[in-house]
Amino acid sequence: MPTLTIDNQQVTVEDGTTVLEAAEQLGIVIPHFCYHKALGAVGACRMCAVTVHEGTFKGLKMSCLIKVEEGMVVTTDDAKSVVFRERVSEWLMLNHPHDCPVCDEGGECQLQEMTIASGHGVRRYEGQKRTYNNQQLGPFIAQEMNRCIQCYRCVRTYKDYCGGKDFGVMGSRNRVFFGRFKDGPLESDFSGNIVDACPTGVFTDKTFRFKSRFWDLQEAPSICPHCSLGCSTVPAGRYGELQRVRSSVNEKVNGFFICDRGRFGSSYANHPERPRQASRGQWKLTRDEALVQLDSKVRELIRQHGPEAVLLLGSNRASLETNWMLQRWAEKIGCRAPLLSAHLPRHLAAQVAAFDLADRLASLEKIRQSDLVVLLGVDPLAEAPMLAVALRQAVKKGGQVLAYDPRSIELPCVFEQQSMSPLQLLELLDQDKSPESGRLLDLLKKAESPVLVPGGDLLGAGGLLRVQKLAVVASNQTRSCLVHPVLAGPNSFGCGLLSLPEQDDLLTQLESGRIKMLVCVETDPLLEAPNGERFAKALSRLEELAVLDYLPTLISAHTKLFIPTSAPVEAAGTFVNNEGRQQLFVPVMEPRLPIAVTGSGSHPPREFLPEAPGSDPRPAWQLLQQLLGEEVELAQLRERMKTAVPRLIDFDKLQPGGVFCRVSDADERSCYADEISAQPAGSLQLVVSPARYGSDLLSRFSEKLKPRFTDACLQLHPQDAAERGLDDGMKVALKTDCGEYYLTLRCVEGVATGCAVVENGPAFPQLVPGGKLGFCQVAAGGRHD
Amino acid sequence: MAQEEKIDSIGLLDENELAYFVAHANELEHPREMVIDVLRAIQKNHGWVPDEGVELTATILRLEPIEVEEVATFYDKIFRRPVGRYPIHVCDSICCWSNGGQELAEQFKQQLGIEFGQTTEDGLFTLLPSCCLGVCGCAPAVMIHQQHYGPLSREDVGELINRLRREASA
Repeated sequence: MPTLTIDNQQVTVEDGTTVLEAAEQLGIVIPHFCYHKALGAVGACRMCAVTVHEGTFKGLKMSCLIKVEEGMVVTTDDAKSVVFRERVSEWLMLNHPHDCPVCDEGGECQLQEMTIASGHGVRRYEGQKRTYNNQQLGPFIAQEMNRCIQCYRCVRTYKDYCGGKDFGVMGSRNRVFFGRFKDGPLESDFSGNIVDACPTGVFTDKTFRFKSRFWDLQEAPSICPHCSLGCSTVPAGRYGELQRVRSSVNEKVNGFFICDRGRFGSSYANHPERPRQASRGQWKLTRDEALVQLDSKVRELIRQHGPEAVLLLGSNRASLETNWMLQRWAEKIGCRAPLLSAHLPRHLAAQVAAFDLADRLASLEKIRQSDLVVLLGVDPLAEAPMLAVALRQAVKKGGQVLAYDPRSIELPCVFEQQSMSPLQLLELLDQDKSPESGRLLDLLKKAESPVLVPGGDLLGAGGLLRVQKLAVVASNQTRSCLVHPVLAGPNSFGCGLLSLPEQDDLLTQLESGRIKMLVCVETDPLLEAPNGERFAKALSRLEELAVLDYLPTLISAHTKLFIPTSAPVEAAGTFVNNEGRQQLFVPVMEPRLPIAVTGSGSHPPREFLPEAPGSDPRPAWQLLQQLLGEEVELAQLRERMKTAVPRLIDFDKLQPGGVFCRVSDADERSCYADEISAQPAGSLQLVVSPARYGSDLLSRFSEKLKPRFTDACLQLHPQDAAERGLDDGMKVALKTDCGEYYLTLRCVEGVATGCAVVENGPAFPQLVPGGKLGFCQVAAGGRHD
Repeated sequence: MAQEEKIDSIGLLDENELAYFVAHANELEHPREMVIDVLRAIQKNHGWVPDEGVELTATILRLEPIEVEEVATFYDKIFRRPVGRYPIHVCDSICCWSNGGQELAEQFKQQLGIEFGQTTEDGLFTLLPSCCLGVCGCAPAVMIHQQHYGPLSREDVGELINRLRREASA
């Protein structure tokens, strides 16, 4: 731990720290462009010059490249360094346009800041500036190459860090060009990160272009609600509209970047059909009226039919606070404990993660540092995109990635895939039934820091318990084999954690006919649980269906009483991510109808009201508080929740936007008995996978993501297709337990034989991932439509 | 894995060249190292490297087109735009410059009636500035295809141009 002196201040830092990082610890910001914590230093921009007075290399040095030494003396504010940096700034500005007022980056531009900070104010260069033709890079990213200062951050982010293939740097000397071979949409699922990485206005968010200045935006630290990883984000809103999302830093989770689904999938909050007022059928209600009706109806039905008559339903989209308040409300009104998910298999998998795996959970950071990661039934780009980027970092450090999956998986790194049907996967995990098991166990035992990454959707609770057993066997005294379970939603783990051990299936309950009233809190069983059609039938038999939500979901057709809630960006709350990290988010903006809507493109109406239109939605936990008749501050509510659920971390210890902590361990629950039904002759194993975009409801209701939505298809191994006399591109009929569907066939080599793969998404919402292991028949034929 | 499909060289490479490159690409651990060779072969046959040439190179070497383009656009001796039959690289580095390189360039411009970066109307000559050609002993020098010429005087320029014109019409 060397101690050095920077600008007359002493600091002791870790070995291997650079002078730039050491100065940062003292609060001294040395101007820089090419250095980025995740991407490292390349010493290309020459901006971070400092003078080294004592040390091996004396004189003017680039602080991002010089490692600290014991007794080093460095100044950042001496005349030589200051003039050097000013000259560098002037030189970087030679070709840069002087039009900050019309540039979309203005106000949050690192070049602007560094130029002003370095003291360069008057341009001496009078020659011609270098200019470029820009490329059309698709719906998400706008390019203005004239603003480029050649820091190479974009290509280092897109290609080196995230593994994108269709972006690079062309040309030489003052003609270098960062872009694609030809015009066309950027293909990477992490393309948006170049917007954050670019220190100037070359790459900007096209969906946010010329909407707002940075300083006009309302921003707050938040947690991405699009998958179970819980990446840190900073959403930004203005005039009631959620305008953009940028990545935030959580070194234990996403690191510095986020995926395009999280970044461009935010416009669900502005959905034009988003219900913003309470209603009973056609009748508009105030929030208070609706809550009174809800309360009295619940009490009336319990009085008439007993406590079994009312069922409350929480969800993994709803915050921990909401789900917990729902449990408390159930206690108060005396009905049975709420189900915290409409999708029982997914919920059981989450419980295994929250209890049985709790003592061996690994963060994404652990994966980035791991030397062996084994994917078991996980398609990262579809289920947890930033996991794919984490895997790439592991591989870049020399680690190995193995994937066992029935689907044809793509990853932005070198990896070994073994196609395997869901049944074979379970056999692999059973350890004695599959020849591959021995090899896998050997590899795991030899590895220094192995991580198993099971997919909760594909393996189910039974599979996850097998993974736990495998992890125990693969652990030794010096190190534990860790597990990073991929779950369904942003708060799946949280729901699992809160949930009682015995959980009934919602559909079975509804079909029994005993339930007279269902209260759905931020969930739609029609879209988020298997068997949507049976659900629809069961729902129509209810006497009362109350829905509290912020999305215009399908269930609204059956809803009798609707109460609007605020979206995650409009509320404070807690999500517990897939590895048990208890993460807080705070409201970015107030819920209200965007001015873009009220003004329909022109000036908003000149009416003077005490409240903005559409500002009725409240966080669901607040509504439940009102029902419970106890309106306390969030901090107090959280304190009570922490007391009731001891596994939670003290909320005082957590800071929004921080690294957060994992909830404490628990005893194993192992409440799941798994039953595998016999495979009918001639049938295929049905694999329902989420589509990369539009499988989670938030991205499905995000207009911005539409260009990435894909058509529905059925994937078979060419051999299976040939056996059935089917050709690529043919219309085929898929017969499942849930119904018969007509899809276009795609023959894919990477699909495991004996499997039929369909993607759940906007084009095919009928089958939902994560159901029980199912079988299906595929035959030629299709409707004429 | 997709089946090994036969690559169509769309007239940019002949059968033997194509077979040679494909065979070598399969032998090499990093087929990327042949990027320049393939581009040069395409340029020799076609005069310059069109977009299809970049894509063809990428297919042969199992790279992304952008990876080939990065190399193709880095080197000024790989032409990504049409050039005349005789691209003339006039050295503008220190030795040639101190031995009358600028005057030499002026001579070429005058006698061909074009500026740097332009091609004569008959499609024979393209005039290009170049950094050091590595023949400082012959300064001031130019390079046409793989051939160096220098030291060149005012008279030599006319003679060289005429000789190439005669060669072209032969």
